[in-house]
Amino acid sequence: MMQGPDIGKAIFEHTSDSRVVELPFGLGEWHLPTGWHLFGIDVSPTKHVVFMVVAAILVFVTVRIAGRQIERRHREGKAPHGFGAAIEAIVLFVRNDVAIANIGHGGEKFAPYILTLFFFILYCNLFGLLPWGATATGNLAVTGTLALTAFVTVEVSGLVTLGPKGYLKTIVFVPPGITGIGAVLMALIMTPIEIIGKLVKPFALTLRLFANMTAGHFVILALLGLIFIFSSWLVAAATVAFVVFMMLLELLVAFLQAYIFALLTSVFIGMMRHAH
Amino acid sequence: MPVLLLRLQEATAGGEAAFTPFSINTGLIFWTIVVFLILLGLLWRLGWPAILKSVEERERRIQQQLDEAERARAEAQRLLEEHRRLAASAKAEAQELIANAKAIADKERATLLAKAREEYEDLLARARKDIEEEREKAILALRREAVDLSIAAASKLLEAQLDNEANRRLVTEYLATLEERR
Repeated sequence: MMQGPDIGKAIFEHTSDSRVVELPFGLGEWHLPTGWHLFGIDVSPTKHVVFMVVAAILVFVTVRIAGRQIERRHREGKAPHGFGAAIEAIVLFVRNDVAIANIGHGGEKFAPYILTLFFFILYCNLFGLLPWGATATGNLAVTGTLALTAFVTVEVSGLVTLGPKGYLKTIVFVPPGITGIGAVLMALIMTPIEIIGKLVKPFALTLRLFANMTAGHFVILALLGLIFIFSSWLVAAATVAFVVFMMLLELLVAFLQAYIFALLTSVFIGMMRHAH
Repeated sequence: MPVLLLRLQEATAGGEAAFTPFSINTGLIFWTIVVFLILLGLLWRLGWPAILKSVEERERRIQQQLDEAERARAEAQRLLEEHRRLAASAKAEAQELIANAKAIADKERATLLAKAREEYEDLLARARKDIEEEREKAILALRREAVDLSIAAASKLLEAQLDNEANRRLVTEYLATLEERR
C-alpha cells in the first residue's frame, strides 16, 4: 500500500467551513475573529460568511453597474449593449421565463426575490470554482437558510393570496365531495401528508443545492487526490484532463443549480397561490 | 446516515468543534439570513427597478413606435386611396372638360362656317347684281354711243349726199308733192 496523504481529510477540509480564509496569491491566511455571540448563539464569521458577503457585494455591484448602464443608454435612446445587455438578458429570462411563467398572474411582485435568489446562488456557486474560493452554497446551513426564505415566501404568499380560510385548506385538505365522518377521516389522514409535503419542498431545495455543489468539488478533489496517491505524471495528465472536464461541468452546474433553485421556488409559489 | 447525524451533533454541539462538509453552523444560518436579506433589500430598492424600469419603458417605447408605425401606415394608405380617388375624378373632369371644349369648338366652327357661307353667298349675289347692272349700263351706253355714232355717220352721209343732183331732185319732188297736197 502506497503511503499517501489523507485525501479524504483534505477533501473534507476543503469543502467544509472554516475559521480561516486562505488569501489568494500566497498572501497567507486570514484568521477570522472568534467569540462573537448574539442571543447566546455563536455568530463568529467563517470562511463561508466571508465568501457570501463578497458574493453579495459582487451581485450588488453587478446589478448596479448594469442598471446604470441600461438607464443611461435608455435615456440616450440607444439599444442595450455589452455588459448591461448581458445582465439584462439574464434578468429578463429569470423574471419572465422563471418567475412570472411559473408563479402566474402577479408573478412580477415575486420577481425581485427570485432574481436575488438566482444571482446570489449563482455567484456563490461560481466562487467555489475560483482558486482559493469557497462554495458557500456547498454548506447545508446556507442552502437550508435560503430554502427557509423560500418556504416562508411560499407560505406567506399562500396566506396572503388565499386568505386564512383558503390557506388552512392547504393544510387540512378534504377532497371535494366527501362529507361527514369521511371528511374527518380524510382530514386526519391528509393533514400530516400536507404538512410533510410543505416541509419536503424546502428540504429538497436544501439538499439539491448542497449536494450538487459539494459533489462536484468532491469529484474534482478526489481526482486531484489521485495525483498525490499515485505520484505519477501519467496519472496527473489524465487526471488534469478529467478535472478540466469536471470544472466545465461544474460551471454548467453552477448556472443550472441557481436556475433550478429559482425555478422550483417559483413553481412552489405558483402551486401555493393556485392551490386546489 | 448515523455518521451524518453524528457529524451534525458534533458540529452543532461544541463551538470550536471541527467543521465538516455536513456540519450545520447556527452562526452561518444567522449570517446567511442577514446577508441575503440585506442583499434582497438593497437590490429590491436600488438594483432591479433600475433595470426593469428601463426595460419596461423600452418595451413601452417600442410598442408605442410600433403602434405609431401602424397608424402612419394606415394614414398613408388612406391618403393614397384619397389621392387615387382624386386623381381619378380629376381625370374624369379633365375628360369632360375636353369633351365640352370640343363640342363648343365644333358648334363654333359650324356657326362660323355657316356665317362665312352666307356672307360669301351674299357677296356673290351682290357681285352678280353689280355685274348685271354694269352690263346693262354698258349696253345702254353702248347703244347710245352706237346711235350717236350712226347719227353722226348719217349726218355726215346726209351732208355729203345733199349736193347730189338726185337728191336735189328728190327734195324738189318732195316739195312738189307738198304743194300738191295742199
